[in-house]
Amino acid sequence: MSIIAIATTKGGAGKTTLARLILARAALGGLKAAAVDADFNRTLTDWVATAAKHPITVRHELDETKIVPLIGELHNWHDVVVVDTAGAASQATIFAIGCADLVLVPIAPSSADIVEAIKTVNLIKSAAQMLRRDVPHRVVLTAVQPGTNIAEHIEKEIAKAGLPVLATRLHRLVAFQEMSFTGVPPTTGIAGNQCTSFLNDIAALGGLPIAMKLAS
Amino acid sequence: MSKKDLANVTADLSALASMMPTQRPNAIVTPTPAPLASEPPAVKVASAPKAKGKTAEPEPVSQFSLSLRRDLRKQLARLADDADMTMRAFVLNALKAQGLAVRDEDLLDLRKERA
Repeated sequence: MSIIAIATTKGGAGKTTLARLILARAALGGLKAAAVDADFNRTLTDWVATAAKHPITVRHELDETKIVPLIGELHNWHDVVVVDTAGAASQATIFAIGCADLVLVPIAPSSADIVEAIKTVNLIKSAAQMLRRDVPHRVVLTAVQPGTNIAEHIEKEIAKAGLPVLATRLHRLVAFQEMSFTGVPPTTGIAGNQCTSFLNDIAALGGLPIAMKLAS
Repeated sequence: MSKKDLANVTADLSALASMMPTQRPNAIVTPTPAPLASEPPAVKVASAPKAKGKTAEPEPVSQFSLSLRRDLRKQLARLADDADMTMRAFVLNALKAQGLAVRDEDLLDLRKERA
């Protein structure tokens, strides 16, 4: 029903973490979840194979000539398709953006993350012009350390750059890191609440079925 | 489930995509860089020893050392760290933008493989 592309030309910003959160919580909530891993490192593919606790279909595909048909095929049989892209500009990333109902651009607290997020948003806008339709997109603040100068500075820089931001901020929490090993998405506590809020934001933007039953 | 029409995505975005690098391993074009007229004085190049008795010859690798002001070295380390890259990958990435024929495998972070 919906296709979410996660893209930024910066590595280490939290793309795969966002993909894991969406896929694991969607699968936990009874949705048919699929992923296209367009990252050379295969991190998401390996995570689904070794850690994920609920059924998630995953395909690793680097070839830009195959990525659009693959997304279309998975979209026909799943409630949500998440495309995790590489941490560098590539043709596959452009086509993933073109297929998406929503593009999420993660930003971790560093200057390079903001610079690359601005480039990625410009890329999304260019793609939208060529597609002659709107491509909804939001930057997502990840690994936030609330109350710190750097967190405040990042917020100001993003506002100055005019980037559209998702309301939910994902903090630097152990539960998000643990998920890479356990495959279990956070459903309780601060991490669980942030995860639920994050998914609700996505649903409100049309990136997830509204009827999604979020496990809690 | 509703079907989405993605038929035009490839055609509509092909011009934009053509400006981006491909990830297809067999489609990476690696032109031979033009030889330098002269080596900069601060650069020392030493050839690595050749592998013996191998059927498939790996491409020769050369050691490359670069002298920098300490402050520049610190800046380089910080910028590479911000970009989550090794300094080697960071420098190669910058040179790629200047036209050096850097391949994707040249930018691999070998630290992760060793870990």
